[in-house]
Amino acid sequence: MINWFKRRRNKKTSYDTNEEWVEALSPPVDEQAVEVLRKKLIQGLKPALHKYVDRELDQFVEDVAQDALLKVLDNIDTFRGESKLTTWAMKIAVREGLTELRLKRYDDISIEDLKPNDESREVFSLSVASNETSPDRSLHESQLIDKVMQIINEELTDKQKKAINALMIQGLPMPAVVKLMHTNRNALYKLVYDARMKIKTKLELEGIDPEKMLNKL
Amino acid sequence: MELTPDILKKLIKSAQMATDQEIGCEECFDELHEFAELELAGKSPAEAKPLVQDHLDKCGSCREEYQALLEALRNIENDN
Repeated sequence: MINWFKRRRNKKTSYDTNEEWVEALSPPVDEQAVEVLRKKLIQGLKPALHKYVDRELDQFVEDVAQDALLKVLDNIDTFRGESKLTTWAMKIAVREGLTELRLKRYDDISIEDLKPNDESREVFSLSVASNETSPDRSLHESQLIDKVMQIINEELTDKQKKAINALMIQGLPMPAVVKLMHTNRNALYKLVYDARMKIKTKLELEGIDPEKMLNKL
Repeated sequence: MELTPDILKKLIKSAQMATDQEIGCEECFDELHEFAELELAGKSPAEAKPLVQDHLDKCGSCREEYQALLEALRNIENDN
């Protein structure tokens, strides 16, 4: 027992520099460093994720920290020292946790069950002005709607139309559309980005100023 | 696909905001730890990394992760 305490006391319990962390987390891995980092991740994840988790927060956070640690250890050679190592590791852990929560949120729900939700924060965040329009603007509106529909139909690919429809017209949250389209967030963002650029370019080519267009609505 | 004036506004605004240099979610993630430290240090991350700020303004999922990251980091900083 006394020897065990002596061994424990000799072990390093803090890692102050990135060099110390990287050395400790590179093979052969210092288990004490892993434990210190695990505790830090848990400490940060709990307050960051508690509002998303309705029960068993402790267990969820433990699992997330464990998965994140594996990713940190697997990718330690890619850490470039641009921040504290703990910041980099926490970034990985937070993404791990939120990704898991998003998957769970839509795991048991079929896309058909997803209701349109224009208030969702996860649709590309665009501040929409008041929707009050005067009656004499209705002709303008229908002309503009026809023009944009024409651009969508003629310029966008089927995939882009599907993404625009799901995100902006039906107002589905991004993770739901990721599931619907069997893609990932980055690919979906790029797909919609290309669609937005096509619409922008086409409007410019046709001499339509989007700002004026918005003012007419 | 039906376009209402509200959706049309959203769509036009979204197209209008598209820029040649926009970055995606992965590129944003690659720089998020530096961005967060700048913010926590009271510096101006938006000036240092405008493309990351631009992406965070446009992508709700990345913004949600960033806000959670800040909260996590503030909590471990308080303890140090």
